[in-house]
Amino acid sequence: MAPPEDPVTQTSQSDPPITPDIFQHLVRLAALELDDGEAEYLRGELNQQLQAIRDLESIELPADLPITSHGVPYSSETRPELRQDRAEPSDKADAILEQVPEVEDRFIVAPDIPHTELE
Amino acid sequence: MSAEICELPAHEIVARLRAGDLAAEAVLEATLARIEAVEGDLSTLNGDPNGAKGVHAYISLAEERALAQARAVDRALEAGEDPGLLAGVPVAVKDIFCVSGTPSTAGSKILATFVAPYTATPVARLEAAGALTIGKSNLDEFTYGSSNESSAFLPTPRNPWSASRVPGGSSGGSAAAVAAGEAALSLGTDTSGSIRQPAAFCGIVGMKPTYGRVSRYGLIAFASSLDCPGPMARNVKDTALMLQAMAGADAFDATAAKIPVEDYLDQIEGGVRGLRIGLSPDFSRLRYPDADTGKLREQALQPEIEKALLDSAERLAEQGAEIVEGVDLPNVRYGIPAYFVISRVEAASNLHRYDGVKYGHRSEGEAADLFELYRKSRGQGFGSQPKLRILMGMYVSGEQYEKRYYERALRVRTLIRADFERAFERVDAMLAPTTPTTAFEIGGIYGDSVAMQYADLLTVPANHAGIPAISVPTGLDDSGLPIGMQLMGPDFTERRLLRIGRVLEQPQESRPTLVQELLDA
Amino acid sequence: MPEFEAVIGIETHIQLNTDSKIFCACSTDSWRAPPNTHICPICTGLPGVLPSLNQQVVEKALILATAMNAEKIDQASFFARKNYFYPDLPKGYQISQYDEPLAVNGSFELPLPEGNSRRISIIKLHIEEDAGKTVYKNGKRLIDFNRCGVPLVEMVTGPDFRSADEVAQYLIRLRQLLRWLEISDADMERGQLRCDANVSIRNVGEHRLNTKTEIKNVNSITNVRDAVKSEIERQMREVGAGGVIEAWTLDWDDERGVLSKMRSKETEADYRYFREPDLLPIEISPGAVAATASQLPELPLARRSRFVEAYDIPEYDAEILTEERSLSDFFEATVAAHGGDPKRVSNWVMNDVLRLIREHDTSAGELGLQPGELAEIIGMVEAGTISSGVGKDLLVQVRDSNRTPAQIVEEEGLAQVSDASELSAVAAQILEANPDQVAAYEGGKMGLIGWFVGQMMQETGGQADPKAAKELLEEMLGS
Repeated sequence: MAPPEDPVTQTSQSDPPITPDIFQHLVRLAALELDDGEAEYLRGELNQQLQAIRDLESIELPADLPITSHGVPYSSETRPELRQDRAEPSDKADAILEQVPEVEDRFIVAPDIPHTELE
Repeated sequence: MSAEICELPAHEIVARLRAGDLAAEAVLEATLARIEAVEGDLSTLNGDPNGAKGVHAYISLAEERALAQARAVDRALEAGEDPGLLAGVPVAVKDIFCVSGTPSTAGSKILATFVAPYTATPVARLEAAGALTIGKSNLDEFTYGSSNESSAFLPTPRNPWSASRVPGGSSGGSAAAVAAGEAALSLGTDTSGSIRQPAAFCGIVGMKPTYGRVSRYGLIAFASSLDCPGPMARNVKDTALMLQAMAGADAFDATAAKIPVEDYLDQIEGGVRGLRIGLSPDFSRLRYPDADTGKLREQALQPEIEKALLDSAERLAEQGAEIVEGVDLPNVRYGIPAYFVISRVEAASNLHRYDGVKYGHRSEGEAADLFELYRKSRGQGFGSQPKLRILMGMYVSGEQYEKRYYERALRVRTLIRADFERAFERVDAMLAPTTPTTAFEIGGIYGDSVAMQYADLLTVPANHAGIPAISVPTGLDDSGLPIGMQLMGPDFTERRLLRIGRVLEQPQESRPTLVQELLDA
Repeated sequence: MPEFEAVIGIETHIQLNTDSKIFCACSTDSWRAPPNTHICPICTGLPGVLPSLNQQVVEKALILATAMNAEKIDQASFFARKNYFYPDLPKGYQISQYDEPLAVNGSFELPLPEGNSRRISIIKLHIEEDAGKTVYKNGKRLIDFNRCGVPLVEMVTGPDFRSADEVAQYLIRLRQLLRWLEISDADMERGQLRCDANVSIRNVGEHRLNTKTEIKNVNSITNVRDAVKSEIERQMREVGAGGVIEAWTLDWDDERGVLSKMRSKETEADYRYFREPDLLPIEISPGAVAATASQLPELPLARRSRFVEAYDIPEYDAEILTEERSLSDFFEATVAAHGGDPKRVSNWVMNDVLRLIREHDTSAGELGLQPGELAEIIGMVEAGTISSGVGKDLLVQVRDSNRTPAQIVEEEGLAQVSDASELSAVAAQILEANPDQVAAYEGGKMGLIGWFVGQMMQETGGQADPKAAKELLEEMLGS
């Protein structure tokens, strides 16, 4: 479903933190080609979301408060053993290649990245 | 209303099969007939958003696979062999799981052509237990949503209780399929409520197990530190049965805990006598964006939901539970903001692999160089919800912002976890509504990504804390839409939650209105 | 014109010699295998897959960290995702370690040609997965994931090298150590030991670090030396001409011997590292670290010094004998079994055993020749039971059979003939058959005695004791 035609516009007084320049930087990092309408909608939504995210800034966090990587802590009783080092060939190589858009002699094909030679 | 085979509880199907009163092939036939009757069009890439009237729960069906499975079950029964815990039970698999040989699309154009060469562990375990894989159910694109409206496969699923309402999301197709009798069970995923919220909206049971209880191998990742595969069913006992077949350590998932799996069924009728069940004001006084101003504002629960909560507490008290009021969980209010950050960082990274080179959508026409191929393939392949998550992920994990947001969010997660640890020193489980409102109108929120995210306000705390939670249906609101209540417990207390849920559940006697309408037509 | 010095830091990627890849069960051994045959859903990053850490990777990395005397091994280390787009990186991120690596602050004792050694600081060691391999053809990149997911340890030195030769020396010694510890085959041609060099220059006497360039993708020690040398010279020319050095990433083309630069736009990196949620931290107890340390073998430099001291052999010998661990073990075991002059054993090992090893492209440990057998052969030569030529042949025969040297000598009749009656019959025949030579000898061409001895050796198939034969012939020729 397409985003609505008239996105809810920013109501905050201050300038939205994700400016068109920052947005373009993010788009480049994200490797996304966007048309103008979509870009405007997405930037508007990001700035809305940031308003919600800023709620986090009001929380007083003790300096020594550790981060939690997973909600559930792992102990020696719960963490699984590491995998034993045994090689077992997979029978899925051909099925994997069948999914590849362009294959040449079993290689996966991608366009090149140009280099510049040093003088 | 005469119960049809496709409406039988899963445990009943298994019992009748074992007793020789029913064949798996007959169950499959009945289920496919129901799909034929109520599904309308299957959802297709860029399909007609309206389509023929129907539930539209599925993206693809796997009739041949299911038929082979049904025949294998019937052969096993004939040979006197154990046909498995879920023998002959039709299951809808949320199309976020890879199933070998099936299109595994994640509801996205970028994976529309992808046929998985391997099978996810939970699916493999269900199939090994004799379940019939009916097909792949629709979902929000890459699970990013709470209404199922963001799928690239249209029409989007309808709420079986009202064609104008969303089924919830992201496991919307799963919930709709189960409610509509198009499957007895569905395998869903819950990252911030994606099992529980659609279960509540569609009047079924949905459980988010403890993080690490069910393997994530083969689940196309959203937020890896939060994603939990889990069961969806029409009743608590079936939920227990399904979890029993899936839970446990897996050599392919380093985060799947090696704690032994309990018997989820042996005490399911054990009642709640002596259990302490907590209520928290922090699950009733909700801060979410005002519909008009967009500002965060404290708002009350929908009145019928408030009432259902009190009725539920009363029912549990009548059955001998001790209700403990005023259990403070002061930090759960930060669940959504923290989730905005953590899930986006992980999602942006998880979506890096879709680049048009190895599988899935590749942009048409020549690309001048590699990076243009990336930009075009991803620009064309992703819908606006993945794009939003990628871009926000880039922003909050970028070198210049990372300290400010991502690490802070992970510390807030520590606070939320600590809230629950403190609460569970006082109580055995927490009771709360699953959703602030019942199912909303299609198109009512979609497009406003903040309001949509706040639909997970009550469910996301359990994901941050990693704890198990189950949503059970407790009745209908004044518009005839289902209401769900959720129970949350300490790590790996699924057995306890199922037992309490068994007391709490109030399944509807009547068919969902849309389903009845379609059957009558 | 100021005098410049080069400042070089080295990052090596070391392939651990496990059987299976770091996160899946695919074989790591795909040398010369057809492309994309050693792959599975996990190492090709299909949607939904998860990594499952290979226990041997941790074990082997632990050995290396311990051998580097590194710190913090017993503190939890975390995997992190390094996010970037590249076609050889199937997930779009590399599972690596970042700010909480396996170990930090180690050191590497680098012997220099002048005889002294330099302590190279090891800033950190971390575990990561390898990417796939790219072949370029007709403007296309052809990608092979066979190597993708092979386990690596990245080891980063401080900016402690001052010349391309020192860098080469470090790589030679590192390779020796890795093989010695049996944690990597460290074959650079096969990409099992790869090197990135960070190169900058400064005025002699300065201590600051200037802008550096990073040379990537170099696959032999010679190429590393050439590439670093070429880059140092380029920087000196550039700065000498008033230019500035920019932080480029450079590729070395070893066929043409030139450096090339990637377009800066594409090397702009924001890896957005964050902890890998799919893996739990690596936790190694202090006890496990201590146990590993106590089980480390004697390291090459220590063994080299000990050989010089204990066996009184030249530095040169000790160096060659400790190039490879099983060779040094072989030498020591032979010395013990032989019981005589270690230098004699050293000569045999350095000449004959090493030749055999090279001929069969193997190691002393897998040559199939036991130290006891070599000791026995040396003993027989020393006792005059066999000639040294027969001894050398025996090495080959013993290796190819189940018999002991003594059995072979006995059964094949290889013992030297020094019995006068047996020899004199042969000598008589030779003198009779060669009257011209006899006449010439008697006429004063005394040098012909060597020719006669040669005839004797030929007739007896090499078994005649040459000394006894010579004495006998001289006697019979009546000189």
